[in-house]
Amino acid sequence: MTARRAWEPPFIQPHRHDVSPFGRRGVDDDIQGAIAGVDIETLIDRWGSPLFVASEGRLRENVRRIREAFASRYPDVVHGWSYKTNYLGAICRILHQEGSWAEVVSAFEYEKARALGVPGPRILFNGPHKPRAILERASAEGARLHVDHLDELATIESIARDRGTVIPVTLRLNFDTGHTEPWSRFGFNIESGQAYEAAVRVKASPHLVLTGLHSHIGTFILEPRAYGEQVRRMAGFMAELEGEGHDAITSLDIGGGLPSRNALQGIYLPPEQAVPSIDSYAVAVCGALERAFADRPRERWPTLIFESGRAVVDDAVSLVASVVGTKRLPDGRRAVVLDAGVNSMLTALWYDHPVRLTRPVPGAPEETVLYGPLCMNIDVMRRQVRLPPLAVGDRLVFNPAGAYNNTQWMQFIEYRPAVALVGEDGGHSLIRAAETLEDVCRPERMPAHLQTGDGTR
Amino acid sequence: MSTGTQRVLGELLAVGRLQAFAVSAKGFAFDPRTGQSFSINETGVRTLELLVETGDVARAVERLAADCEVPAEVVEGAVTAFVHQLGRYLA
Repeated sequence: MTARRAWEPPFIQPHRHDVSPFGRRGVDDDIQGAIAGVDIETLIDRWGSPLFVASEGRLRENVRRIREAFASRYPDVVHGWSYKTNYLGAICRILHQEGSWAEVVSAFEYEKARALGVPGPRILFNGPHKPRAILERASAEGARLHVDHLDELATIESIARDRGTVIPVTLRLNFDTGHTEPWSRFGFNIESGQAYEAAVRVKASPHLVLTGLHSHIGTFILEPRAYGEQVRRMAGFMAELEGEGHDAITSLDIGGGLPSRNALQGIYLPPEQAVPSIDSYAVAVCGALERAFADRPRERWPTLIFESGRAVVDDAVSLVASVVGTKRLPDGRRAVVLDAGVNSMLTALWYDHPVRLTRPVPGAPEETVLYGPLCMNIDVMRRQVRLPPLAVGDRLVFNPAGAYNNTQWMQFIEYRPAVALVGEDGGHSLIRAAETLEDVCRPERMPAHLQTGDGTR
Repeated sequence: MSTGTQRVLGELLAVGRLQAFAVSAKGFAFDPRTGQSFSINETGVRTLELLVETGDVARAVERLAADCEVPAEVVEGAVTAFVHQLGRYLA
């Protein structure tokens, strides 16, 4: 060595060949110093680390592109923004500005959508737990009620009877497309006749009218033909009901499940190759709709509703984490401890999130384990990723990180981090502050007999 | 320096294993006998060079300690572990 270097013990590591070589980027390609044009260090200086960073431009671009894929192939299309994917107010507001309705699955989500100003008729109300009070409110405000089970249907009928009105309902269906594992726990099953019985019950009630059909065939669906088959089955059920004198069904809601360009664990190919384009899904769905309704006048074609969340928001949000420690494990692997773990990014449990450095780091890349900050063995952000030798203070960017993290994250051991938004003009602002001790303790109450005593006794 | 470490090195050199081991400056290494490839860090590449050049663990430790300005006792422990790694992977 010609110049003195920081000491690192000599090390040799055999290459493993159980990781897909396809699409693996070189280290130089994995540098990302900015998000939406804003220097990452500037963001961290202002808001701290770890930090979620959302790109308003990417979010708007995504939803426009995805909606256009369907709207360019079918005359009447509605996108319902899946609140559970990411219900930060600013994220929802952007998507509502873009014309997306709200798709909610609980009283909390319904109330949040209304608080954000979404009118009742632009709310799709899914979910298996809708207490009577929220059903009363939602039906009075004109929300679209997607019925999950007969008890819920009875509650809605009771509300309508008490008011002396008729409430329109959508039945949630489940069935086997032959392409994906059937999700049979939600809604009414077609093959067993439950869906037909539910429709008959609606028809028999003077207080209910069936106006829509809904189904959701699963999540992260990698086979577009599954959606084509879904539409064929739903349209067939619709035709069966209409043929028996049921009222006209005006909307078919195909749920969500469109994948993002994230890397599911256990899938060999990288997302660039494993995940079909949005257009291929739109072709499958809209082609099936055209075939199903070819013999009807266009004005009788139902509205197509889709409830995509992940594909819209995932790559619009990144998580920036900082290295807080490094070590060599007894089996020789290099390990890095980060200040963000599965408490902030729960999806690390099932994704191998693509990760990039924010600056070039010299040194030979090695297979490295990325641990989070929790004192828990499960806290692993990546089980294996090739990285050069990192040092305390180095940053890593995880992207896509926008789906199901800012909703499923936990206040567990650590505070939840802040979320910043980079606007289309390059300005940046806070859309959720980092959690504080006060935030965590605010709902707690101290019984009178525990009011005194500080633990020094 | 343990005689066991020097013995492992001696055996690898005697059968030409280390000399045949192809190592790039960037740390990519290839064992032509097995087809197995490896990554070696920068210190490892330099250590390997010194081990082949001197054939002596103690002298390699001495040179590395001087280069890196690290106490020889620290370097000795690391090089001992490295030589035994080489023994496991290349034997």
